[in-house]
Amino acid sequence: MPDIEIRLTVNGRKFARRCAPHLRLLDFVREELHLTGNKEGCGAGECGTCSMFVNGVLHKSCLLPVAKAQDAEIVTVEGLAREDELTILQRAFHKAGASQCGYCIPGMVMAATATLRRNPHADLEEIKEGLGGNICRCTGYQKIFAAVELARDVMNGALPATALEEETYRGSYIGASVRRLDAPSKVSGALRYAADMTMPNMLHMQVLRSPMPHARIAALDVSEAATMAGVETVLTCNDVPGVDNYGVFIDDQPVMARGVVRYVGEGIAAVVAENPLIARAALAKIKVRFEELPAVFDAEEAMQPGAPQLHDAYPGNVCKHTKIRKGDVERGFAESDLIVEETYETQAIEHAYLEPEAGLAYLDADGTVTVQAPDQNITHHRHMLARILNRPINTVRLIMSPVGGGFGGKEDMLYQGMLALAAIKTRRPVRYVFTREESFIASAKRHPFRIRYRMGLRKDGRILATSMYMIADGGAYAMSGPGVMNKAAILGAGPYAIPNVRMDAICVYTNNTPAGAMRSFGAFQSEFSTEAHLDLCAEKLGMDPIELRRVNAMRDGAITHTQAQLGSVSLLRTIEAAAQAARWAPGEPHRQTRGEQRPDLGGNDTRKPCTLGARLARITTPANTVGSASERKAVQT
Amino acid sequence: MLTYDQYLTPRSLAEAFEAIGRFGAAARVVAGATDVLPWAREGRAGDVHYAAVIDVSRIPELCGVELRGERVRLGANTTIAAFLANPVLVEHAPVLKHCAVWFADDQIREQATLAGNLVNASPAADATPAMLAMNSVLTLYSSANGQVRTRSVPLDEFVLGPGQTRLQPGELVGSIECDSMAGYGAAFEKVGHRRSLVISTVCVAALVRLDFAQRDFDDVRIAVAAVGPVPTRLTECEAFLQGKPVQPDVIRGAAELAADRVQSRTRREYRREVLVNFVERSITDALAELGISVSSASATKEVQHA
Ligand SMILES: Cc1cc2nc3c(=O)[nH]c(=O)nc-3n(C[C@H](O)[C@H](O)[C@H](O)COP(=O)(O)OP(=O)(O)OC[C@H]3O[C@@H](n4cnc5c(N)ncnc54)[C@H](O)[C@@H]3O)c2cc1C
Repeated sequence: MPDIEIRLTVNGRKFARRCAPHLRLLDFVREELHLTGNKEGCGAGECGTCSMFVNGVLHKSCLLPVAKAQDAEIVTVEGLAREDELTILQRAFHKAGASQCGYCIPGMVMAATATLRRNPHADLEEIKEGLGGNICRCTGYQKIFAAVELARDVMNGALPATALEEETYRGSYIGASVRRLDAPSKVSGALRYAADMTMPNMLHMQVLRSPMPHARIAALDVSEAATMAGVETVLTCNDVPGVDNYGVFIDDQPVMARGVVRYVGEGIAAVVAENPLIARAALAKIKVRFEELPAVFDAEEAMQPGAPQLHDAYPGNVCKHTKIRKGDVERGFAESDLIVEETYETQAIEHAYLEPEAGLAYLDADGTVTVQAPDQNITHHRHMLARILNRPINTVRLIMSPVGGGFGGKEDMLYQGMLALAAIKTRRPVRYVFTREESFIASAKRHPFRIRYRMGLRKDGRILATSMYMIADGGAYAMSGPGVMNKAAILGAGPYAIPNVRMDAICVYTNNTPAGAMRSFGAFQSEFSTEAHLDLCAEKLGMDPIELRRVNAMRDGAITHTQAQLGSVSLLRTIEAAAQAARWAPGEPHRQTRGEQRPDLGGNDTRKPCTLGARLARITTPANTVGSASERKAVQT
Repeated sequence: MLTYDQYLTPRSLAEAFEAIGRFGAAARVVAGATDVLPWAREGRAGDVHYAAVIDVSRIPELCGVELRGERVRLGANTTIAAFLANPVLVEHAPVLKHCAVWFADDQIREQATLAGNLVNASPAADATPAMLAMNSVLTLYSSANGQVRTRSVPLDEFVLGPGQTRLQPGELVGSIECDSMAGYGAAFEKVGHRRSLVISTVCVAALVRLDFAQRDFDDVRIAVAAVGPVPTRLTECEAFLQGKPVQPDVIRGAAELAADRVQSRTRREYRREVLVNFVERSITDALAELGISVSSASATKEVQHA
């Protein structure tokens, strides 16, 4: 492998290193210099977690070949704070609660720094534009904007420096703004996520993934890959010593495909090598002979007789059917003045946490295997790993690394088994970092639902009967699916007092990407349809949709459809507050108007659509045709 | 992942052609690399290896912006950031600054080049319609027997289809020359899934000049992208407006001629509606830049997101 000499100044220090010619600036800074404050979120210039200053101009370092930055002056997030003192911007991020998972924050701080350097008086619109290339999945951006405005005002003297200090405790934390304990480590880049961790003698793992949605693995030959220079080992299902069958509710998943692949992206073999490049080259040498099997991509089709079967233990592909029966639904319908039927569909959703999956596994001197990964359910993962590895549980340890966004997507175990096996087999630390694309194809999604809704109501709006028949596409493995079905069935009919309820939530295996846990865990899909359906019913009844909800709302002491006795129920107060905040005008045909005609838009507390060109306005002002000095410097033309 | 054995940064055209000659098809030219790096990833080209990557961004002959009489010469390496920051461009190519604010984000604009955008030949390339509207001509360099050869290709003939241009193997874009549009009102409209970092679903570039009395259209240039395989000029709209009075119904009439230009296979109806409204709004916005306001009910109509 040829190499080149790279000479750079990074955070004021000069470096000269020989490295592989194809490294990007991001790789060089993170892997060669071990400055891991800036992250890799997408590798394609989209997310901004890698934003760094190059000769004073902010760049996405994942799009910069390091050789392009030869002789340049680089500033990473580590270079902002001087002698342990955070910058005003970093302190403002801390104060405003702008960091949540923290993975986007180093890049965000860099973009905010660039924005205020360009114009110390940037208004909100210009700040938004300046952060336009940086994505955050947690905050909804409001607190980030608040932080940048706070910093701007402190820098300009419009606010005193004390505005950055923690609010004094006034006897209660409720209603107070409390700073996060871990925020300083996030705004400075000091916090280490799994992909930031290194150990001496560490190996790197890459995984061969199925290009087929459903196929028998007729032959799998890893011999050529395994004998390549720099390859330490190649793992397949044959390396699993214990029970190669795990899951949250149903044990149906192997660590790596065992004889058959059931979705595009399923892991087949893992190469462990001296560096990721060798590991990737070895993946190309693995020979797999697939015998294609008929595949099914629609949950209802998968339930039909004759459909391709995914798991022997679940004929008909139904992996879970949750039923709730309360009262007599048919009688309720018979007594209704109005019956409204509709079918609702929701789509698969990727969590898109900014931190792609990553993990580091190693053996302790006493033989204990440790996996550090951003797992949202370490105790459960530890139990599953002990069975997979056929080890006593006291020799299996899981350490939860900071989760750079999860939203449920890091609850379902996916790659930890391969990592643990790799560490045990090689007796060396092994790290595995997903690419963004890999995270998309391999990780669990939100279940897409198809919901047949039937609701019976009296003329006065009272709901007499609800029937929801929900079919969820669970993809190739059950994962959190059964729990998601339970939640959908328990909560789906909404917080409404309904005498007769029939709920069916059915999770079906298909050859799609597995679905798993995601924010609200099934309640989102089902309650979305309930609220949409109530709007429809209100329209048919000629009733105000808020009023319809008021009529049916559960009240203090209500008993839920699953016979839970509630104490205080805040639904009515919530509806009231929401209607007021939205300036809801009963009887307005809201659903028919859009855009500027909507009476509830444009007032206090509503957000204007974002605009572009804040700086354009400055350029076209005759007094300032050229832009700031930094803009001029930025352009070499 | 993109890998290569050598990264060459030639400092002259001669050095560049020496490298191009030495490696031939085993080398890849990059300028900003903002198209090439994301292209070599899973789901697109996958892992790609070159013997050499030739970075043309430091070749002086490919740099610089210069006014040459009635024409403006933009070096191939002109960054999108320069559209906003270079005084010659701000004055003589006013549509570019509007294009720039919609282009990627601040950071990518510092790196992304004009030639890269044209050569990449995406149907949704944002700079291409802006340059089309200014009658651009590319100067291409090649090398034969140690001599640098030059030829010119008008931009409207250069892009042949998605990813396809008239650029020959071993040829470099040296510069792009366009009309000086000083005194024109300009506008750029774009819609995609979000505001920053987004591929256009429809985009429109417009430049407008009025006659001496400020009453009639004297010269209108409109170009569109993302509605067909190649960005194009809306010559029929331009001809319709020529010499007509500045009135809302005239502008609307011109805009409606654009509807049939949508050739995309997806979201046709949506694109037709947006394109017509965008043509109307871009002319209105360009007039506004000249200090002329045309009130029109549909011009302010909210453009719904794709
Ligand atoms: C996150 C992101 C957002 C983006 N947003 C937008 C957007 O909003 N609008 C838009 O239009 N594009 C967008 N792009 C695409 C890209 O940034 C532009 O097309 C850019 O102009 C490409 O220029 P470059 O110099 O980086 O090209 P490069 O990647 O360096 O090159 C692109 C192609 O041009 C060739 N080339 C470059 N210079 C020359 C030359 N002088 N002679 C011959 N061939 C040459 C290269 O060989 C290559 O084939 C985006 C890209 C990313 C990653």
